[in-house]
Amino acid sequence: MADFLTSTHRAKWVFTPQHLVEKYRAANQRARQVLEKCGATLMEIDADGSLSYPEPQIAKANVEKHSRTKPLSIDEEQCIRVFFENKIQEVCKSFHFPHKIQATALIYFKRFFLQWSVMEHQPKNIMLTCIYAACKIEENHVSAEELGKGIQQDHHMILNNEMIIYQSLEFDLIVYAPYRSVEGFINDMQWQEFCNADDDFLQMLKTLQDTARLEVDKMMLTDAPLLFPPGQLALTALHNSNALHKVIDFDSYLSSIFSRQNPVHRESEFIESLNAINSLVRKYKFPERKEQSHINRKLESCWGLSSHDESKKREKKSKHKSKKNSSEAQNAPS
Amino acid sequence: MAIAAPGQLNVTESPSWGSRSVDCFEKLEQIGEGTYGQVYMAKEIKTGEIVALKKIRMDNEREGFPITAIREIKILKKLHHENVIKLKEIVTSPGPEKDEQGRPDGNKYKGGIYMVFEYMDHDLTGLADRPGMRFTVPQIKCYMKQLLTGLHYCHVNQVLHRDIKGSNLLIDNEGNLKLADFGLARSFSNDHNANLTNRVITLWYRPPELLLGTTKYGPAVDMWSVGCIFAELLHGKPIFPGKDEPEQLNKIFELCGAPDEVIWPGVSKIPWYNQFKPTRPMKRRLREVFRHFDRHALELLERMLALDPAQRITAKDALDAEYFWTDPLPCDPKSLPKYESSHEFQTKKKRQQQRQNEEMAKRQKMQHPQQHTRLPPIQQSGQHAQMRSGPNQQVHGSQQVHAGGPGHHYGKPRGPSGGPGKYPPGGNPGGGYNHPNRGGQGGAGGYGSGPYPPPGRGAPYGSSGMPGGSGGFGVGAPNYTQQGPYGGSAAGRGSNMMGGNRNQQYGWQQ
Repeated sequence: MADFLTSTHRAKWVFTPQHLVEKYRAANQRARQVLEKCGATLMEIDADGSLSYPEPQIAKANVEKHSRTKPLSIDEEQCIRVFFENKIQEVCKSFHFPHKIQATALIYFKRFFLQWSVMEHQPKNIMLTCIYAACKIEENHVSAEELGKGIQQDHHMILNNEMIIYQSLEFDLIVYAPYRSVEGFINDMQWQEFCNADDDFLQMLKTLQDTARLEVDKMMLTDAPLLFPPGQLALTALHNSNALHKVIDFDSYLSSIFSRQNPVHRESEFIESLNAINSLVRKYKFPERKEQSHINRKLESCWGLSSHDESKKREKKSKHKSKKNSSEAQNAPS
Repeated sequence: MAIAAPGQLNVTESPSWGSRSVDCFEKLEQIGEGTYGQVYMAKEIKTGEIVALKKIRMDNEREGFPITAIREIKILKKLHHENVIKLKEIVTSPGPEKDEQGRPDGNKYKGGIYMVFEYMDHDLTGLADRPGMRFTVPQIKCYMKQLLTGLHYCHVNQVLHRDIKGSNLLIDNEGNLKLADFGLARSFSNDHNANLTNRVITLWYRPPELLLGTTKYGPAVDMWSVGCIFAELLHGKPIFPGKDEPEQLNKIFELCGAPDEVIWPGVSKIPWYNQFKPTRPMKRRLREVFRHFDRHALELLERMLALDPAQRITAKDALDAEYFWTDPLPCDPKSLPKYESSHEFQTKKKRQQQRQNEEMAKRQKMQHPQQHTRLPPIQQSGQHAQMRSGPNQQVHGSQQVHAGGPGHHYGKPRGPSGGPGKYPPGGNPGGGYNHPNRGGQGGAGGYGSGPYPPPGRGAPYGSSGMPGGSGGFGVGAPNYTQQGPYGGSAAGRGSNMMGGNRNQQYGWQQ
């Protein structure tokens, strides 16, 4: 059967925390080296996915001028990613895309920036291209032009970045988001209670599911999707949701699940994951505005594109949330 | 901007991310024209392993990477089965590429993307068309069983193949059969709610519901194609060689009877039913026409060629049919004879010779009267695209994103202009026997076909896109021996229109 168990997601894209740290470090390290050598880090991308770094000669002058250009730290890179991951959710909502598109785009974005530093590729462009790719892969086609229009961006940029994204994803395009797993567990609960399931119970399950989805939304913004399989994320979300609504006896539900499973998974292991996932969510923080604009400035000078005045203006704007969801994307570092 | 020196930044050489370079492979020969690009036989330099490289063409894409390629990659990465072709990896070529004549290929994408497949020696049609080839009953059962097993696996995993035909069934010298060319495949959900395009499946293998314009369908469409192949194996030639949609439907009705609300409830609600419903009553004559088939085979065929898709047998049930469980039983694939590998031909064949292919083929064709039993009729040639303008055309309407059309730039001047072949709209049933020179086209044209058709024969089946494609079916035989398999000319030709057409047909429409 073709399912999660035999998927590339499981085989290649669920990491240990150590491995994840290493990957972030390697990407950061490489960008630092480039900065040192070339004076700027932003890569030129071709539609066919070929890449190049800034030419050292041209950059030489910059090296002098920007001798103070400092690379981003790993934590700072994280801040930038967090910012754009939120943007993905916003843009997808404003387009009224199905949930799975948002989840797929987010996972693509995360995987992409496992391979690359935000200093090498503009996360705004990558974000939009990830959304475009997610629409394509999930058979919910939106033309590049339409997407570009919706967010007032040149759609050629999207097409230009498409190939490098697929390559960085190693063409592993099918991803498993926890939302479907949540649905699966809910169906399972309903089935188990089938005989005594009345309308009230069904309504409560619905509430349970809705809250669990919000819980998943939160997890999707952390590293959790790179560390845990979707089923565990879903179950944790349901656990948290149930703690709030007290719909079912979660412990006995867990036992029933694990008794049905082959002994591959043990309940105790799951509890460990559950705690780890929750701790990731607790530790998650959206960067402060001030911090964010400081990092943006740094990032722009790494790219070698900075124009300080302009970026300041943008940062101010970008703090205004509300309706401008999608158009806001462009106010972020470009 | 400049490319970082190799190794300098650890980006250009053996990247830790992404895909390997196509330079890991040595291209041996072009062996075909796939759904959206050329197919090469190649050797992995490090291991010496022979593989097939299918290039994904990227130009003319308003929507970037072709959706058909995305679907194929997505689906093949999901499917792991012994009767489904294995996608080994995807490789990219970083630099500008040249076409066969060494011209830059004028592609705005400097590099290229290739899908790497396990190499298979033959395809079913090619094998069937080898001179003197007679399949035994256990052999036919063996192939059919593998076909159904692979298809059942696809259907269980909610994948419709949508281009089942002989040239997409690859066979190796171990007797294994694998489904290939998932360029038209897509996943479906059981609720059948999504509208899917009805412009799929090569005309001769296309089921009546698609011809009548339905956009809601399921696995039954593939089973019709299986029925066509099954009958073809037993009968010795294609059973519904229509040249355009109306004729295709007519051929089906002539054999299977005309549908009405009694035998196919709901048929009158299908979009083009009224337009195509026959003016005279037509009875089902399947049993009569194929009365020489053995009883179990006929029984199974009856159920595969049920007009009403809801009554058509599923792959799973077909595997349970008496046919596969009565003597003679399907043989063990390994017990099948090994057919001469075509690899040798390829390497021997020089490019220059290929230039002469057409002429040679013509001459040889004259000298070697057809001894082949699978010759289908060939009719007039040359009509391709126009035929597409059926009622169906509108269906495409909306966003015709050009999904990787193969061919064009490749288009070689030599060689007949993609003699329409077995494949319908281009199809030219009729002349096979009568116009031997058509053969010339065929020999090479075969490579216009499917995923990577077996080398070394005048591949019979046209392109995997329907139109254009190759010179006739059946010509394979004579060409095979003398003509150098790799009819280089094969490659580009035929594909011309096939490419174009395909684009229009299978764009974003799902």
